[in-house]
Amino acid sequence: MSSPDLTEHALKNREFWDNQSDEYDERNAKFIERGMAWGLWQISEAELQVLGDVEGKDVLDLGCGAGDWCRSLLRAGARPVGLDNSQARLDRARAGNEAAGVDFPLVHASAEAIPLEDASLDVVMADWGAPTFSDPYLFVPEVARILRPGGLFAFTGGTPLDWITFDEGADSYSDRLQRPYFGLHRWETPEGSVEFMLPIGEWIRLYRRSGFVIEDLIEVQPPEGATSTYRSEAEIEWARKWPMEQIWKVRRT
Amino acid sequence: MGAQVADGADLEGAAHVTLSEHAQRNKEAWTGYAAEYVASAERNWADDEMTWGVWSAPEKELRALPDVAGKDVVELGCGTAYISAWLARRGARVTGVDITPAQLETAQRLQAQHGLEFPLLEASAEDVPLPDGSFDLVVSEYGASIWADPYHWIPEASRLLRPGGELVFLVNGTILVLAFQEQEIPPDEQLRRPYFGMHRFEWPGDDAIDFHLGYGDWIRLLRDNGLQVEDLIEIQAPEGAPPHRYEALAGPDWARRWPSEEIWRARKVA
Repeated sequence: MSSPDLTEHALKNREFWDNQSDEYDERNAKFIERGMAWGLWQISEAELQVLGDVEGKDVLDLGCGAGDWCRSLLRAGARPVGLDNSQARLDRARAGNEAAGVDFPLVHASAEAIPLEDASLDVVMADWGAPTFSDPYLFVPEVARILRPGGLFAFTGGTPLDWITFDEGADSYSDRLQRPYFGLHRWETPEGSVEFMLPIGEWIRLYRRSGFVIEDLIEVQPPEGATSTYRSEAEIEWARKWPMEQIWKVRRT
Repeated sequence: MGAQVADGADLEGAAHVTLSEHAQRNKEAWTGYAAEYVASAERNWADDEMTWGVWSAPEKELRALPDVAGKDVVELGCGTAYISAWLARRGARVTGVDITPAQLETAQRLQAQHGLEFPLLEASAEDVPLPDGSFDLVVSEYGASIWADPYHWIPEASRLLRPGGELVFLVNGTILVLAFQEQEIPPDEQLRRPYFGMHRFEWPGDDAIDFHLGYGDWIRLLRDNGLQVEDLIEIQAPEGAPPHRYEALAGPDWARRWPSEEIWRARKVA
């Protein structure tokens, strides 16, 4: 399956991920091979309790990458579907599935135009992945469309605070406000990708008008002794004081 | 609404109730500050336009409140009760609750002056002597929403609401709290304290104790008390806004870029 109508930033992000797929796995694959674990610090689902019981549920991973989350969900009794905007990432997922002797649908598409039926899923989740690289004003209504009533949407990503304190000159997070909070939306990274973030109030209004109720906003603090292949020691120290990662949990009415 | 409150002219209170340590300190602090708030109370009571916070953000633009005509409304930490007065003029049956008699005395005097009487109750928002499920709207602006402990006043607000009723309250901007400096000194771009662990704050040069939570903590606290989050309105200073008298709460230049005030809206689950 493939989706032809990509936004300009979805095309850029597709190219970005196709180009850095191998390098990304080289850097992070070992770190993220820990089963159901979330985000920068790979905190277990058992501890965070974001998804709850997935057995027998139709679950979509929005930005499935190499398919690690989907394979964990399959082991937990879910019927997973993996979506990714990058064919190179989906090739890795397929190779991973073959190695593990498992199979589930893999969809090549942007999260902004998801080629799945209305009300066809119980859970849509993303561990960073597509929400970081898609326009919330496009993907949140799409997720609302494909979820069944009562379905859960949960995803990790960056925070408004990390966006407004990031010092581009020093290429690191800082303890100073570097740019405005009002108007947060889109950032063209020096690496060529396009990332998205909204102010907290904007997220809340977008969820409400898309037909979600807000269940939680988990601001993740790195645990004692946390390591990460995604962040430096100095950045881990920053994240002990201010949220660098947040998990939204919203439910379709 | 069947509450045992006085009709404006007489303050009725819960003087016998033991106040928490911070409530007692805040009552003393606000007794001292009350005289400084008389002039702004007089201006607000004389003005018909309802506004929010230090930027006087007009309610007709923010639309934070539901239609209040014919509704039972309680204001928690009403101070000089200008919000209650605005709502009473819009047809609400309001009750103002405040912990500081000196503030309520200003409110009472302005009630008499404007011929607009509604019940005023001396009590802490953490322990409100009003019956369960007796209000359609609980509102707080620079009141309980800042100087009462949210882990005590939010459960009280929820208890007071009827199913489907709304809670609307204004707090200092979360990022502003991270950047706050001492009294009288405006914030700059420096973050001066961590986000994790935000709750109870004491400031040099300020006798009061105030309370601020992070976004996620607010969402969980509201949800755990049967309140569904409807909105978080982050107030931006209007273009060309003149400076206000509360320098520590950020000047117009800062507040054009980062929210200095935030209004949470939540609804009691039916």
